[in-house]
Amino acid sequence: MDATEVAAVLARARLGDSEAFRTLVERHSRRAFQLAYRMTGNEQDAEDVVQESFIRAYRQLSRFEARAHFSTWLHRIVANCSVDLIRSRRARYDHTSTDDLGPVDQPEADVPNPERLAASAQIERKVAAAMSELSPLERAAFTLRHYEGRSIAEIGRTLGLGTSATKHSVFRAVRKLRAALEPLRGES
Amino acid sequence: MSRHYSEEDLILYYYEERPRSAGIQQHLDSCGQCAAVYRDLVATLKLVATPEAPDRGDQYGLEVWQRIRHQLPEQEMPWWSAWFRADRLALAGAFTVLLLAAFVAGRWWSATNAPAPTVASVAAPAPSPAAANDESRQRILLTSVADHLDRSERVLTDFMNAPAGGDLSAEQRWAEDLVVTSRLYRQDAVQSGEASVALVLDELERSLLEIVHTPSRATAARLDEIRRRIDAASLLFKVRVLGNELRQREDPQGSRPRALATQTS
Repeated sequence: MDATEVAAVLARARLGDSEAFRTLVERHSRRAFQLAYRMTGNEQDAEDVVQESFIRAYRQLSRFEARAHFSTWLHRIVANCSVDLIRSRRARYDHTSTDDLGPVDQPEADVPNPERLAASAQIERKVAAAMSELSPLERAAFTLRHYEGRSIAEIGRTLGLGTSATKHSVFRAVRKLRAALEPLRGES
Repeated sequence: MSRHYSEEDLILYYYEERPRSAGIQQHLDSCGQCAAVYRDLVATLKLVATPEAPDRGDQYGLEVWQRIRHQLPEQEMPWWSAWFRADRLALAGAFTVLLLAAFVAGRWWSATNAPAPTVASVAAPAPSPAAANDESRQRILLTSVADHLDRSERVLTDFMNAPAGGDLSAEQRWAEDLVVTSRLYRQDAVQSGEASVALVLDELERSLLEIVHTPSRATAARLDEIRRRIDAASLLFKVRVLGNELRQREDPQGSRPRALATQTS
């Protein structure tokens, strides 16, 4: 689909044409899911975020400026929906304590073997547990910076934060992760 | 040796968010303490690998569409486009006819009841037709919104008192009718500069939409969830107070009985 076609689809969607909006949903769902999954760390939560994001996008299409990229605008909505969802569900999750996970053996060999795969899975679990200890904003800012490679300025615009607040969210996230993952580093 | 760099500086350096990073690199080459902190930081961040999202096939977009298509809300339309829709045009036509009728009736009433003009009244500047039209429009809006708020209050009250597991379809149909009207009044209120009225109507519209989109036999938990939101926003209170205020503005002399004065709170 070229730029002219995209603009035409967007214009029709903004006038309430649900078929045009369907084209946008079909085109952007996978990327939205990927971001939502990284932001929430949970498949079912990511599904909920994707749905809520498109519903929110549809409602607010009149606010979308035609000059901007729809994907950028949707990215912002997905990120904020994820923050909202993490906030609302945070209390319902039992946070896995990282204290009960001891040092991990990390075999040196490059070829994956059962021990190495087990260690890798354990690292993933510990990282997931450490990420779940972050506040919703810390997690969002860190995810956008570390996984998505967004700049501090972009993250600030996405989350509606100032540059300083964005930086400090990333700093706090890194500090907490360093503390939580200390035992892993000791063994690596 | 220059000063040591803080952890925050090193984090920004790692993410290439720091200007003049060559200076840091030089420092790290010569300062063992900072280099150790940086190595530790890098080791941690390397552990945090990008999680691989479960694969979603080519049909995923279609699946998402199927899940949301029946949940799509009304779009927030720009005010100008709203008037180009057929139902809006019909309403605008009716509104114009009403205005004309009010204008003609006003002229006829003035002609038959006005006392003989005095010097002072002749000298006084008469309000322009545009100003008179604006005033009439404002009064009609206030009356209509006040009536709308009365109706909405009744729906909200019914919903708040509905038993769990009971059939909500009657309230939902009523709410659905009110959503459309609410949106029109909100747009009118925005155009007329009635920001506080528009704000309450916006909140009301969202709650009405939520009622419309709730299953007609909602679970107690779902009902509680919506009711808590309505309570938290003090929506019933706001609707009642605004309705009361509009009635007072509409009839400042209190010559007409006030609808809300008879209601119990």
